[in-house]
Amino acid sequence: MTVPAHPLGLEGSYPLLFLIWLLPLFGAILLWALGPRFKSFAGPIGSTMIGVAFLATLAEWHDATAISGGLAGAHQTLFTWMPGFTFGLLFDRLALIWTLVITGVGFLIHVYSMGYLAGDKAFARFFAYLNFFIFAMLTLVLSDNFAGLLVGWGLVGLASYFLIGFWFFKPTAVAAARKAFVINVVGDVGILFAIVAIVAHVGSISYGDTFAQIAAFSPHDLFIVCLALFIGCAAKSAQVPLHTWLPDAMEGPTPVSALIHAATMVTAGVYLIARCAPLWTASADARELVGVIGALTAIAGAVLGVAQWDIKRILAYSTMSQIGYMIMAVGVGAFDSGVLHFLTHAAFKAQLFLGAGIIIHNLNNEQDVRLMGGLRKTMPFAFIAMLTGVLSICGIPGFSGSFSKDAILTATLAHGHPWLYAIGVLTAGITAYYMFRLFFIVFFGPYRGNVDPSDLGVRHPELAGTAASAGHHPEEMDAHHAHAPAWLMSGPVAILIVPTVLIGWLAFGGADSPWTKFWEPVFPKVSEAGGFVMPELAGTLLVLAVVLAGFAVAYLRYGAPKVLAQSVPRLRTESVRMPPVLANAYYFDAAIDALFVRPSMLLGRFFGSIVDPLVIEGVVHETAHTAGWLGHLFRSFQTGLVRVYALSIALGVACFAIYYVVIGAAR
Amino acid sequence: MTQWLAPMESYIALSAVMFFLGVVGVIARRNPLIVLMSIELMFNAANLALVTFAKLWANNTGHIFAFLVITVAAAEAAIGLAIVVVAFRKQQYVDVDEASVLKG
Amino acid sequence: MIAFWLLSFALIATGVFTITAGKPVYSVVGLLGNFVILAILYLTLNAEFLAVIQIVVYSGAILILFLFVIALLSSGVKPFDIGPDRAPRIGVPAFVFALIGLCVIVFSVVRAAVTGAPNAPEGITGQADAFGSVGDFGVALFTKNLLPFEVTALLLMVAVIGVVLLAGDEKPAPPRRKPHARDLEREPIVKPVEKLIR
Repeated sequence: MTVPAHPLGLEGSYPLLFLIWLLPLFGAILLWALGPRFKSFAGPIGSTMIGVAFLATLAEWHDATAISGGLAGAHQTLFTWMPGFTFGLLFDRLALIWTLVITGVGFLIHVYSMGYLAGDKAFARFFAYLNFFIFAMLTLVLSDNFAGLLVGWGLVGLASYFLIGFWFFKPTAVAAARKAFVINVVGDVGILFAIVAIVAHVGSISYGDTFAQIAAFSPHDLFIVCLALFIGCAAKSAQVPLHTWLPDAMEGPTPVSALIHAATMVTAGVYLIARCAPLWTASADARELVGVIGALTAIAGAVLGVAQWDIKRILAYSTMSQIGYMIMAVGVGAFDSGVLHFLTHAAFKAQLFLGAGIIIHNLNNEQDVRLMGGLRKTMPFAFIAMLTGVLSICGIPGFSGSFSKDAILTATLAHGHPWLYAIGVLTAGITAYYMFRLFFIVFFGPYRGNVDPSDLGVRHPELAGTAASAGHHPEEMDAHHAHAPAWLMSGPVAILIVPTVLIGWLAFGGADSPWTKFWEPVFPKVSEAGGFVMPELAGTLLVLAVVLAGFAVAYLRYGAPKVLAQSVPRLRTESVRMPPVLANAYYFDAAIDALFVRPSMLLGRFFGSIVDPLVIEGVVHETAHTAGWLGHLFRSFQTGLVRVYALSIALGVACFAIYYVVIGAAR
Repeated sequence: MTQWLAPMESYIALSAVMFFLGVVGVIARRNPLIVLMSIELMFNAANLALVTFAKLWANNTGHIFAFLVITVAAAEAAIGLAIVVVAFRKQQYVDVDEASVLKG
Repeated sequence: MIAFWLLSFALIATGVFTITAGKPVYSVVGLLGNFVILAILYLTLNAEFLAVIQIVVYSGAILILFLFVIALLSSGVKPFDIGPDRAPRIGVPAFVFALIGLCVIVFSVVRAAVTGAPNAPEGITGQADAFGSVGDFGVALFTKNLLPFEVTALLLMVAVIGVVLLAGDEKPAPPRRKPHARDLEREPIVKPVEKLIR
């Protein structure tokens, strides 16, 4: 086995890495194969696998943060396929943070799922899928080379397909899963293209070799490689224009949304860009592109979040918007800020989703916020939990989200992108607005669950409030639906309150914070001309002002007492008057349908109804037909009449005679 | 009568005409007896050609060959007629078109 | 030359008469005339022996054989031309072919340059070994071409045996037997196939 020429980590043998990586796979296979036998015991089995992996990650902390002689982290070579194609595991600081989130939040969500999906007929299958997802995500994160990354990338897309379409008897879920998978494949192609370009220039797939030989790329080629990689990121992280799958992905169970569409899978794009920091540092054009797309996505998602009525869709668009922030951060070169936001977002977004899951579960699968209301009295725990999440996402000082958001915005300005900064600040205000809108509509005012849905402007009243609309098919539940102990669901939510509030404090102190010091040996410094370093206090106050403005507008529209008294007619008016642009998500779905889906189907139909029967089948058919026709022709010679045979003999002789007499004579 | 000798090409042409008359007779007639007679006509055409060439090259192998042709023609006519007789015994008529078992 | 033209015209006329006669007896008579004219032509070509053989064997034996068979067959009510003509216009391509073939042969013969051939002596001499005479022919037959002569004898014997075997015994037709049960069993195979086709 040959080590790549430029390994990034300290070479060695790390058996715990294998434990971290492969235990979820083992769990997945076990639960796939023997799931029905285990019945509800599958939940603890799946959770234990991830829990052990998390503990192993903590145990490997020391190896991951080790630095010696220019190499950082742990590197374990697996095997060499051919020269230049060595596969291995790299466990450095970046991988460490991601693995902690994946296994930690993953473990909490496994426990939560034991409560949420209790009684579901496919209970074991769910945990098999969840474990498989964890394994795939770890493959993505722990690989030391682009090809392993791509393998993980694809497997994560597959796991997402499994989990979104978990309730496969729902046609909307199946369609959503397919949509997510297809858009992910577009991203896969981008990454594959980038790998080909990298191998062509560098001759190796490993990160270390590539980063050591950046000089082998011309600036144009480097931009192309970064662009191709970014297409993959955009698909996986739901950036414009490949974002349309994320809102539909909410068809999956809420724990799935929490885990993979908030905390881990959608951040794979951010991970990739952070991992390839040397590539991005070397290409200013690529950084420009990424920053712009990130900012655009942030504001586009926020504006759409204003127009949603499904609680999970609001959170989905908010995820899209927050990931936009992360992408913008790593795009301008503020890698550690982006990773910090990933960390805080994982906490508060999981918190928000799980809290929403509690509400959905208790309201018997109601997801439309118009049919909620006044829940702070009936579900106080969910109220507190979601309040911490909302405060954190809005960036209220003291909560985690504010540290990361401020860090991103400051860095954006410092790296010389005033327009992106402006967009980011504006988005923060819009974020506050729609999150508090959600908060007020759900938790304040009268409870509207008994109101006739059409009075509230709900378009499909037959689906609202029924189990079928949100996923649990009545027949899928066991006859004696044993309610799982409530602590299975509220426990993880309670645990998540801590990081939601506190984890951002790691970055307290700006340049001297533990967080910044942690990342110093990892990320290169990007220096841009024209940067404006805003004093920290001023920046925080500006953002706070915008956020409070957003909160004020939300309060006036949704939270004020006289508004709450009129909540039913006001909600109805808003539903009816929602601008179609927003209601149809900027018509992106329609555009993709017209640009790609329809032509593909037309092409398919063309080939199916014209080319196939006429050309391909035509060739076959005509060959057979010609054979038959020839046969008939020759058969007609066999008249059975002796005279005809005599004539043909005579003709044959004549041919011979002509040949010998006429042509033979010429010789 | 040798003073009536014509150029050799004339004899060959004559032989050819006779031969093709025989061919037309074989193909176009339904009566097997007439078919056999047309075959005899063809044989004689060949004989004429042989004798002509024997005269041309002053080689009497042509005569020998013609003699053998006559012999063979006799044998073949005999057998052919025997077949016709047998066919006649089966169904009380003879027609060349009846032998159409090989119709495909 | 006139003689030759007359003879050739007669030859062709009798040939045409042979192949187009309505009754087979007419054909035989036509053929007889044809053979006689041919014998005269042989005489012009110095083939005396062959001319005599032509008349004796061909017209004297073979044609008689034909007549006998016609007589035998005509004992039936209407032995010839009973069924419908199944290839009524087959004469047309035959004629066209014949015409083309003829043209080819004549064309090639006329075009061929026959050079330097020693011509046989003219006139009938009384010499026993003159070209085409019996003596000349006999010498050639029994010396140079003895093997073909013997084989021909064998051939004739085979022909006789063949004729006897073919037409000799007049066996009565075997009685029609009732179909065996086995034969009936074979019938059902057709039906399933029919069901498939229908």
